[in-house]
Amino acid sequence: MKNSKVLYEPSSFEIFAKKVFNELLADESLTMTLAAEETLFTRLSNAKVRQITNLHQAFIDYNFIKGNKTLTFSLPFKVSEDDFLLAMKKIKESRLWIEHLPEDPYLVRPEFYGVTKDENLFDLPSNDEMLSFILDLASHVDLAGVFSSGEIIRATINSVGQFHWFKTRNFYLDYSIYNKKQKAVKSLYAGNEWDANALKANIKDSEFKLSLMDRESKKIERGSYRVFLAPSAVAELLGTLSWGGVSMGDHQRGNGSFKDLWEKKKKLSPKFSLAEDFSLGMSPRFNDRGEVAPSVLPLIENGELKNFLTSTRTANEYKVETNFATDWEGMRSPVISTGRLARDSILKELGTGLYLSDLHYLNWSDRETSRLTGMTRYACFWVENGEIVSPIQDLRFDESFYSLFGDALVDLTNYSEVIPNTGSYFQRDVGGSRVPGILLSDFKFTL
Amino acid sequence: MPNLKQLLNSLNIEADYISLRSVYNKSVNISVRNEILEGVTSSEDHGLMVEVMIGGQIAYGATNSNLPSDVLRCALKAKQSAELAHRFGLFHFSEHVRPKVVGEYHSPAEQGMDHFKPADLSSLLITLSGVMKIHDHVISRTASFSLTETETHMVATNGSDLKQKIIRSSISLSATAASDKGSQRRTFGDEQSAQSGIERLDKNKLLIAAERIATEALTLLEAPECPSETMDLLLAPDQMFLQIHESIGHPLELDRILGDERNYAGWSFVKPSDFGSLQYGSKLMNVTFDPTVVGQNASYFADDIGAIATREYLIRDGLLERGLGSLESQKRLNLPGVSSQRATSWNRAPIDRMANVNLEPGTSSMEDMLSSIERGVFMQTTRSWSIDDYRNKFQFGCEHAQLIENGKLTTIVKNPNYRGITAPFWNQLKMVGDKSTYQVGGLTNCGKGEPNQVIHVGHASPACLFSKIEVFGGGK
Repeated sequence: MKNSKVLYEPSSFEIFAKKVFNELLADESLTMTLAAEETLFTRLSNAKVRQITNLHQAFIDYNFIKGNKTLTFSLPFKVSEDDFLLAMKKIKESRLWIEHLPEDPYLVRPEFYGVTKDENLFDLPSNDEMLSFILDLASHVDLAGVFSSGEIIRATINSVGQFHWFKTRNFYLDYSIYNKKQKAVKSLYAGNEWDANALKANIKDSEFKLSLMDRESKKIERGSYRVFLAPSAVAELLGTLSWGGVSMGDHQRGNGSFKDLWEKKKKLSPKFSLAEDFSLGMSPRFNDRGEVAPSVLPLIENGELKNFLTSTRTANEYKVETNFATDWEGMRSPVISTGRLARDSILKELGTGLYLSDLHYLNWSDRETSRLTGMTRYACFWVENGEIVSPIQDLRFDESFYSLFGDALVDLTNYSEVIPNTGSYFQRDVGGSRVPGILLSDFKFTL
Repeated sequence: MPNLKQLLNSLNIEADYISLRSVYNKSVNISVRNEILEGVTSSEDHGLMVEVMIGGQIAYGATNSNLPSDVLRCALKAKQSAELAHRFGLFHFSEHVRPKVVGEYHSPAEQGMDHFKPADLSSLLITLSGVMKIHDHVISRTASFSLTETETHMVATNGSDLKQKIIRSSISLSATAASDKGSQRRTFGDEQSAQSGIERLDKNKLLIAAERIATEALTLLEAPECPSETMDLLLAPDQMFLQIHESIGHPLELDRILGDERNYAGWSFVKPSDFGSLQYGSKLMNVTFDPTVVGQNASYFADDIGAIATREYLIRDGLLERGLGSLESQKRLNLPGVSSQRATSWNRAPIDRMANVNLEPGTSSMEDMLSSIERGVFMQTTRSWSIDDYRNKFQFGCEHAQLIENGKLTTIVKNPNYRGITAPFWNQLKMVGDKSTYQVGGLTNCGKGEPNQVIHVGHASPACLFSKIEVFGGGK
């Protein structure tokens, strides 16, 4: 049985929005941004169901402008008459509130950025079928994680005629499996098309990696080591970089981490290039204002900073050019260029050092010098003379991006992996990254 | 608000237990930067979660529609999921994990959304931002205020009828100073969310705080790096909150100890056999779970499944006594727990959580602690945090620090950090501040769970002194 429920069609949002727009006064404009989902969340432990939740939710963020003043509000969207009544109540309240507020000198007015529709709606087996298949398949392993499946919508429409619509139907099994020593291997099986054989191969591969974790864990002393970071670990680094590292606003306000790179006092490795690249197809190019970002925007090219992510509001404030970033100015679809290191040469080129599959709980330890700290996690190994010797006891690192993507960067792999966002705070995330692994000559462990 | 009892009666679904939990949440946030109003954002969010238990298997359905037809559809989906999951269920519960509860709770806040006047608030925040403009180097000056009003109503087929209305507010200030010597940021209020309303805004106190943090950010610009050495570490309450949260609260969550969180937030170094036997910290360490503190951020009458809140010792005289776990986790582990099964809102299933987790005051005055230190450092206000997935190896950074030499506070130093391992660190707890050093705080952003959830927690602590801790500064 296929999943029969179809989340909203564009017309239901468009008709409602136009009804609201008709009530606006001459000096008013409105942008409405819809986030909706129909999701099955299944929390798994010991390859059993711990909790199972069916969720249907839809919200609209309204950005209301009157004259040179603005405010925003968020309301549920139920596709019922209540929606209109509630929206009108809030608009009336907004008119009262806004009257006594100061003008916004950096106001971003809605503009017409076109009309687009992007839907990726492959047929999937029913949620029950996919979940049953997973749990039967994994019944012999200790698996923990989450299986999520369903439809997601992101759309934005404004009172000057712009309308963008993005809808996808997808699933992910974000999981880790454990041996009796509580050592684990992490993996992800995700996509728009269900392939039972691919899932079987994915779990089998994890089981093989877990078998390597049966050996006694080695305690590594603090110090610097030669290290290979697998793509999933590199994706974690990018997550931290999105936290103020590539934001024009943060840079201008003294909270950035690449001031020296921007001022060309420092360089990263010429082997390192990072771009916001929407050809990945996992995230809509439009932001909450409906502004459409360039399909590819170089951020760092051959070690030199080319662009910060810049929202139009930041651009208005600091008199710089916008590249239609979100107001948060984090990366939505980052891609790191590949290098020359072949998959079957990784251990040989690493020689003696550490192979790290994943990193955990990263945070800046000194943002100004681009220094961050975090932990190793999951399948991490001590390697000697190109051979895996043993898993390691987890280590804390403290290292600078100027070393990671700079002086210590020996090479990047000649392949990369697509890593979808599996976050679900408030709503299921869209987007992801495509990153290679990196070989480092020097990586500092502190605890 | 829908009539939940009527809705429940209309469902006509065969199950061992059904509950409906509706959440109606209103919030508003207003923020100012550099004397410019950055935004006024308000939100209304209402929805409903249906919980169905069949044959000991629990399943959930959630919708932000309260139309009877949508609620029925949601309940039928939950029933279908409970039937499917029964074959794959991790543990089959009984109705004992869903106690009957009847009661109401209202937070002590006086002025909620009805008293929100955006013009007054924006004017106050613009004034506060302006007070921080003490030098051209103070390039970013922010002030923000947020207010939320959450009404939860739960009814169940066991006769439960629980209503809770909680108003929370928080005010945050920040000043960033920058020059050719770098940049430094000081904040005020980020960890002081509380169950109070607009009445909490004390303009005079805020003006003093605004000027102080701007001055301190400027001073830090000129300060030397925090030295790298092992020394005594005195932590202010606004850093102790984080220390308690990350290295006591999370590792004591029973769902982590059971392994339910292994794939995301992580496991715990604490084992079920440690309760009653593990000397978690020095004998000066007393930690309580207490959702009954009036006005603290995570106080309530009962949790989201109806377990009535009581004050319990988690750690007494340094000995681990009890974990943070719901009736479900208690049943699975055969261990005592607390009333802590909480959900972020109507759209997530309740999981094991902290509420107010507080370190009880000791007997030492600030003067006692300072005078006992030959060489040490006093750190204030969380800046950075990271800890491993077993909650062992942590590294935390603070905004502000001052060296302590021969019993006296001396040089201000910048970029202070410290690192350690949880149980050894708490066993190095040398002195615990008395009530004069005690502060009550609250955090709004505790993240956990698959699917992810963020929730309010509360922490209270005196200043505390730890001996022989590895501290270090920033730089390359």
